[in-house]
Amino acid sequence: MNSSGLQSSATHRPSEVLETLQRLGFGAAVAVPDSWLGEVLVRIERQTTIRLVRATHEEEALAIACGARLGGVRTVMFVQNAGMLSMGAGMVTLAQRYQFPLLILVSYRGTPEDPVFYHVGKARATEPVLRGLGVAYQRCDGSRPIGTQVEAAATYAEEASSPFALLLSREDIQW
Amino acid sequence: MVKAAPPTRADYYRVLEQILPPGTLVVTALGNASYLWAAMHHTPENFYIEDAMGLALPLALGLAIAQPTRRVVVVEGDGAILMHMGALATLGAVAPSNLTVLLIQNGVHAASGGQPLTNASLDLAQLARSAGVGHAAKVETAENFAKALRSAFAADALQVIVLATEPDPNVVKPPVTLDPVLTKHRFMAAIGAPRYVPTIFGGGRFE
Repeated sequence: MNSSGLQSSATHRPSEVLETLQRLGFGAAVAVPDSWLGEVLVRIERQTTIRLVRATHEEEALAIACGARLGGVRTVMFVQNAGMLSMGAGMVTLAQRYQFPLLILVSYRGTPEDPVFYHVGKARATEPVLRGLGVAYQRCDGSRPIGTQVEAAATYAEEASSPFALLLSREDIQW
Repeated sequence: MVKAAPPTRADYYRVLEQILPPGTLVVTALGNASYLWAAMHHTPENFYIEDAMGLALPLALGLAIAQPTRRVVVVEGDGAILMHMGALATLGAVAPSNLTVLLIQNGVHAASGGQPLTNASLDLAQLARSAGVGHAAKVETAENFAKALRSAFAADALQVIVLATEPDPNVVKPPVTLDPVLTKHRFMAAIGAPRYVPTIFGGGRFE
């Protein structure tokens, strides 16, 4: 059982995320880290099939991801939910307006299972802001294998020609 | 001694049009950066930013990473750089050798009516060098731009060229539709980017 009381996958979920991205042919990852994302980004840098770009701000990261996808490379973003709050203008004027299919993996900080409580305001705002922006999203289900959820999210982004945000818990993404 | 007026955006674009190697991918920022370039040199390899101020440069950076064997040129404005100055740091860190950045420095937010910038006199070339860009220079004549551009295209290195000019507040009417989705699909088809083919069940595939 994990801290939220749900049955965890038998596998190491962050490893499964990375393996799924590799299997699906992702060639680029653009990230602005937080503490949950730090190690998975290091692991991406250590492998050779996905190129990691570390951006300075999430809206900038979104534009880099759009450019990489424009160039034909399947691209994933790694950001904290604060980044979903700060990338709004780029989301509507670039990613959605030009219909870029992007998988956005979001560390969902500030939920009751997050021990760092200064994140609570971000958690309270995240889903209403995503709905306001019209960004399709889903909270990752801790009781199911994460790889299939990442693949479904990536497929949704392509089929809908739009960004899709998968909201991840600490067990999902902290290595 | 009367100082000569700096080149206009159109003067610089005429130089760019003459020197640009065929097949170069060109990303242009919002407003006249896109409208005028579309009027002068519309090709499928142009990607016009409709709005999204400050995001032409990072988008071009991603494109240059994805297409490392093609030359990429981006036309960005000084107001846009101020809005997303962090992108310069990322640019310097990644330093794609196939990317040339043209920074229009006119001292105003031209696309929104010519409001003055918060700081119009920044040394943008120095700023780019400080951010890790190895080759950055400011030009104030069309001749020097031609020299700098030829040098940039001959070199296998990231280059930033700051183009000093005056504001051009009159909005150019582009001769073609800048429909964003059409622009994207036309661009991706031109470069042969893999296309996602949807299926009814179970997800599609890339061709």
